[in-house]
This record gives sequence, C-alpha cells and structure tokens, in this order.
Amino acid sequence: MNNTYLPSDYLPILVQFFLAAAFIGGTMIVTHMIGPSRKSKLKDDPFECGIESVGDARTPISVKYFLVAILFVLFDVEVIFMYPWAVNFKELGMFGFLEMLLFMALLLSGFYYVIRKGVLNWEE
Amino acid sequence: MYPIVLLSFFGIVTLFLGFSKSKNILLPATLLFLIIALAGNFLEWNKGPLLYFYDMLRVDNVTLAFNGIILLSAFMIFAISGGFQDNPDSEPAEYFGLMLFSLVGALMMVGFQHLIMLFIGVEILSVAMYVLTGSNKRNLRSNEAALKYFLMGAFATGFMLFGITLLYGATGSFKLEQIQGFASNMQVGSESYILYAGLLLLLIGMLFKVSAAPFHFWTPDVYEGAPTIFTTFMSTVVKTAGFAALFRLLSGSFTGVYGFWWIVIAAIAVLTLLVGNIGATSQNSFKRMLAYSGISHAGYLLIALTALSKPSQNAIIFYSLAYSLSTICAFGVLMLVSKEKTIGGQPNEYYDAFNGLAKQNPLLAFVLTVSMLSLAGIPLTAGFWGKFFIFTSAAERGIIWITVIAVLMSTVGIYYYFRVIISSYLKEGDLVKIRVAPFYKVILVLATFLTILFGLAPGIFEGLI
Repeated sequence: MNNTYLPSDYLPILVQFFLAAAFIGGTMIVTHMIGPSRKSKLKDDPFECGIESVGDARTPISVKYFLVAILFVLFDVEVIFMYPWAVNFKELGMFGFLEMLLFMALLLSGFYYVIRKGVLNWEE
Repeated sequence: MYPIVLLSFFGIVTLFLGFSKSKNILLPATLLFLIIALAGNFLEWNKGPLLYFYDMLRVDNVTLAFNGIILLSAFMIFAISGGFQDNPDSEPAEYFGLMLFSLVGALMMVGFQHLIMLFIGVEILSVAMYVLTGSNKRNLRSNEAALKYFLMGAFATGFMLFGITLLYGATGSFKLEQIQGFASNMQVGSESYILYAGLLLLLIGMLFKVSAAPFHFWTPDVYEGAPTIFTTFMSTVVKTAGFAALFRLLSGSFTGVYGFWWIVIAAIAVLTLLVGNIGATSQNSFKRMLAYSGISHAGYLLIALTALSKPSQNAIIFYSLAYSLSTICAFGVLMLVSKEKTIGGQPNEYYDAFNGLAKQNPLLAFVLTVSMLSLAGIPLTAGFWGKFFIFTSAAERGIIWITVIAVLMSTVGIYYYFRVIISSYLKEGDLVKIRVAPFYKVILVLATFLTILFGLAPGIFEGLI
C-alpha cells in the first residue's frame, strides 16, 4: 500500500467541497432570481394554513418524552454493538462471548435500574 | 487497574443500594467501597510498570501515588458529605454513584497509555461532573453553572478530540511510546506542523479541564453555582487527575519537542498566575475566591510542567496532595459556616459569614487558618513545601524568571487568604456554636494534621516513588 500522501492527493476532497458549496450557493441564488416573489402578511406567517396562529410554540412538554427518547437511543446504540460481535463471533471465541455476557449484564442492570426508578411508568 | 474495575462495579451497586429502604446504609457502604479501592490500588505497589487492556493502561508507582491522592480526597469528601441527609430533595445514591463513576474516569486519566483511554477518561469524569454541578435542581445558579460547564466543556472536548485526530494523522498511532518515537526523530516538514497543531489542540482541551487561563472563564461561575460538596470534588479530584494526565502526556510523548511547547506552557502558567491571584483579590464571596485560588494553583502546577523532570514529577504529586488536603478543609469549614445564615434562601458564602468564628468555634477557626496558611504557602505547612519543590524544580531547569513571577504572585495570595483569617479572629460577629458531626470533625482534624505533618517533615515521601 502507498503510505506517503502528498497534499496534492487530497485535491479531490477540496474539489468536492467547492462543488458542494457551489451547489448550495447556486441553488439559493437561482431560486431567488427565477421564482416570483409576492409578499403579504399571511404569507409571511411561519405556518400559513388558513388558521390563525395562537400562542407560543415553546410550550413545556412532559419530560417523560425525553426520557423515553433517550432510553430508546441508548438501547438502540448498544444493540448495534452486537452486530460486529456476531459477525466476528467465531474469531473472538469464548473470550468474546464472555465479554459480551458482561456487556449485556451491565446493560440489563441499567435496564432494571430504569424500571425500578419508574421511568417507564407513564400514568404516574 | 484494580480500583478501576472495582469502582465501576461499586458504582452500579451504589445505584441499586438507593432502592433499599434504609438510607443510612449508603454512606458507610460507599466509604467501605473506597477503602477497598484504596487497598486494591496499593496491591500493585512496587510491582513495576504493568500494562493492561491491550497496553492502553500503564500502572507504575507514579500512577499509584496519584490514584492514592485521588481516592483519599474522594474518601474525605464522601465522609464530609454526611450522606446528604440534611437535604430532603437530594438523591444520595445517584450522587455517590456518579462520583464513583467519575473516579473511574479520573483513574483512567492518571494511568492512560493510549490517547483513546485519555479521551474516555476525560469524558467519564466530565459527564458525571456536569450532572453533579446541576444537581441542585431548584437553584437557578446551579442550573446556570451546569449549562455553562456542559457547553464549554463539550467545546473543549471537541478541541481535544481534534487534537488527538491530528496527532494520529501525523504519527499514525495513539500510543504514547510510538508518538514519542516519532516526535523524537521528526524532520521539519508538513507532518511536524500537523503534530504541533495536534499537540496544541490537545493541550487546549486538557488545560480547559484544569482551568488554566485563558480557558478559565467557566471556573468561578461553575465553582460558585455548584453545591459546595461537588465544588470540593471538582477542585481536588478533577484537578489532580488533570495534572497527572498532562504530566503523563508531556513526559510520555513530547519530550522530543520540548523546545516547542515549553514556552507555550510557561506563558499560560504566567497568565494563569496573574489571572488567578489578581482575580481572587477582588472577590467578596469566599467560595468564588476559592475558585480563583484554584486557578492560581493550576498556575503553580503548570510551572512544574514546564520543568518536566523527575523532581518536578514528585513536586506535582506533593503539591496535589497538599492542595487537596487544604482545599477540603477550606470547603468543609465553608459548608458548616455558610449554613448558619442564609441570603435569599441560599447559604451565605461571603467573607462576612466568618465574622467572629473563632470565639465560639475555635477548632473550626484553627482548621480554616491552617488550610489558608497552607494554600498561601506559609512555612511549616504542606503548601509551603509544595511551592518550594515546584520552584526548585523550575530553577534546576534554568527557568528562573518564571519562579520570580510565581513568588511575587504568591505574596499577592497572602492578601486574600488572610482576609478570612482576619474575619474569623478579629472581626465581631454573632456566630453561635456550630454543631459538627463527630465524623466530620475527625476528617477535618485529620486533613489539618496531615497538612502540618507534611509541613514539618516533607521528606516522608522521599524515595518512595
């Protein structure tokens, strides 16, 4: 394998960066130029769907949603760790199996903690 | 290695202990856990350099000494927390669990031999600290402190990660020895600039964690806003771990490019000393003054880093121990005194809270005085010898000018450290006798005793490491 890279070898990345920037800038300029622009009070509303907007969008939301969402992400990401382990199961052998058991034990103790804390208890 | 494994396990156990009916078991259990971890730590004493976890963690006597300081400070802090019994809103099991987990991170930072290990250690330590800073949920200042700490800490972590990436790009390795090997035989070229950039970015991230100027702006607000017990934890455990990590990083990987970074660290040390000491003089809040004093002590420790020699390594260990003991005493007395009077529902942490302390509470006043003398670096206290060792290590390396500035700055320190002594002995106040739990008293007296002992006989550690 070629181990020495010159700065010129990274030129394609630079080209791609400029292409991406040019695409974003170009589309923004072009749409502003060719699109018709009619302004009215209703059109400039953030949500224009015929109903008058009422109140503030920043209403407090129950913290339970965030907890459930965070827990979902947490367990989802942890389960992803099992895919590479499963693919390499034979090479890792008994050691890998025990490590994964330890990992699952830690994960499940966290799950048990969450349940005991009543995080998943929606009615409370 | 043992304390890392043990404390990870104990942290989970502590969380589950929180479900038990009796709340009194929690504090003795965590103290026992820490004693077991301390014992496990010194099992490996003098076993020579040992490598664990695919050579990612190195255990030698220096690591063990730093681990010992960290675990001892943690033990004292846990003990004076009193199990958070006085606050009905508190969640002791979670606090103790988080602190145990953050200790795991601290120990990983002390013993790392691989930059990924350093990063994971810093993250484990920091994330727990962000949560603990905001643990006083109903207090606006605590929330503000947590948010500030989190946002700025996340930024600093980003810098650090970018620095690690560049170092990997330049050297092709995360391992300290291989980076060392590369940095020692490096030709001037594009790779050397990438290495320098990576080193600087990594240093920014680490210097943020130890609150060195100009990355210190979060420190006063966060130290002031966080509950005092966690401020104590932050200013002792986090700082010790941060300097252990910095020393290991610079001595393990970058001795070959000493000529490049020593002037950077020296400049930051001088700036930190100026900001810390001059900032502390204008404070009216004792807690905020201690935050600035923490910044200035980071400056002294940075001087030892610029010297980067065997004596300076021992100086960092001694200084961390002396600083941790005195800081625990100072915050311990503050916690007791500030509860006596409240301002707007919050504890009174201003200097005037200490007025007339000595009349009814001679022991507390004495503990406070010794800790202030030690922080100021007055002879016959541990703090004096800490400064002495650091200054001699810098002078041996031939960096005299920085020592001169540091001595000047430590005379500035006398002004603000003595203010609280004057308050407690000379000013009139109506402080009544403060009830101190026996165990609390034992910890304060022990820390004071050790401060004086190391002040009288600093040679106790000589030749150990």
